[in-house]
Amino acid sequence: MHKYFKLYSVAFRQEFAYRANFLTSRFRNLFQIFLVFYLWSSVFSQEQDFFGYDRARILTYVFGILIVRTLVLTTRATEVAGEIARGDLTNYLVKPINYFYYWFNRDIAVKFLHLIFSFFEFLILFYILRPPFFIQTDPVAIIGFLLSLIIGIVLFYMIVFIAGLVPFWAPEASWGVQFVLIFVVTEFLSGALFPLDIFPRQIMDILSFTPFPYLLFYPIKIYLGQIGLFGILKGALVGFLWILILNFFMKKVWAAGIRVYRAEGR
Amino acid sequence: MTKNSFLSVLSQKKVLALFFVGKIVRFLFFYLFIYYLIRETGSLAGYNFHQTIFIFLTFNLVDILAQFLFRDVYRFRPKIISGEFDLTLLKPQSALFRSMMSGADVIDFVTLPFIFSLTIYFALFLDPGVLEVVLYTALVINSLLISSAFHILVMALGIITLEVDYLIWIYRDVLNLGRFPIEIFGRNMRTFLTYLVPLFTMITVPSRVMMGAIDFGVVAVSFLVGVILFFLSLRFWRVALRHYTSASS
Repeated sequence: MHKYFKLYSVAFRQEFAYRANFLTSRFRNLFQIFLVFYLWSSVFSQEQDFFGYDRARILTYVFGILIVRTLVLTTRATEVAGEIARGDLTNYLVKPINYFYYWFNRDIAVKFLHLIFSFFEFLILFYILRPPFFIQTDPVAIIGFLLSLIIGIVLFYMIVFIAGLVPFWAPEASWGVQFVLIFVVTEFLSGALFPLDIFPRQIMDILSFTPFPYLLFYPIKIYLGQIGLFGILKGALVGFLWILILNFFMKKVWAAGIRVYRAEGR
Repeated sequence: MTKNSFLSVLSQKKVLALFFVGKIVRFLFFYLFIYYLIRETGSLAGYNFHQTIFIFLTFNLVDILAQFLFRDVYRFRPKIISGEFDLTLLKPQSALFRSMMSGADVIDFVTLPFIFSLTIYFALFLDPGVLEVVLYTALVINSLLISSAFHILVMALGIITLEVDYLIWIYRDVLNLGRFPIEIFGRNMRTFLTYLVPLFTMITVPSRVMMGAIDFGVVAVSFLVGVILFFLSLRFWRVALRHYTSASS
């Protein structure tokens, strides 16, 4: 277990080795928050309620995204695809280390580091934009929010890791798969850009059977107190089932991939 | 050069198909978002559904055309770092042209007919006359001129500071703010987007012209901004070239 903890200091040093890269990625996040903040601020400028949100709740959603997104969607596991395509995976196979846990621990380390920065960004943006903010005090909602965050973190890691296994069969397609699955589908269907309940009930019902709403949308909805105890438990159950399904699928794909892996490029 | 760039991507049809599907799906998600939003609210910053979609399409048109034409800017930094830029300078061809436009992006190229068709389709809802269409086309070309000025600026800064990747992505992030009407932003932000980054000139002015709101003064200033920025960027490029040390080669 000690070796996985060592990864945290390695991950911290690697992130800070490319300081400009790290700071730019944080800076770029701000633009997205600006766009979403002003968009909703404009929509709710007349103090009317839309889609079941008032001004305070929608802007809490936008600010909540900054923190929840950092915790759930920040990842370095997208490098798995490149390591398999270049044959660098071999370096790990000869070490007494579990490749899945290696990247999971690195991801947690990176998330932690980004969380510290996003907290300061949150304060700065809060000072500049001065939005009305909803503070949740119900312990059930807070516990449900934390539980849903853990589910979201594990789910997203599994989605990224599975997408990263594509180069076992198609090294050239890895970036394309990640673009579609992570940067398009996850970005939209997780609720990163807008709350998913702007969609009609039927679309929401279909989406609730996919893993994507459990990444960002459900945690923030729980924080806002818009999902009751039954909804929290139902969401946790569906999210947990998806973890089991993805875990089973990931193991099958990994086993099949290792059988065809030829360490090309080494 | 562009032919080689096209052939290298066309040889990977699976990748091409994935990116094409990804871009179309992303567009459809935004379309659905705008549709359901305005169905509930009635308008966005005073624009109705067709007008908002048209602004979104104008943003896409400018963005995708710029990415299609200037894709090689994204590959400029490695050339500076490795010293490969020396070889570009030795060739009997404009180093700027070669660095900017030698690798047009086939993925954006195949997306363009889709965006063009939708832009024409939604323009018809705005009921434009000949003058509006001609001015809109000229203003979109002007937006490309401004976009090219920013790409040249980023490359020139890249020569001096060796940092290109970050600057070009920050430019893209700022441009992305033009997806929705500029009127959604607060006063300070609008001032920033009008004067510092001419998003107003690049997206809002052409869109408004097509909607029939022609202000000839604003149109004239927009063209002036385009020409001045382009010539300033060329001047800065020449200054940057004088600072190139070829240290890596």
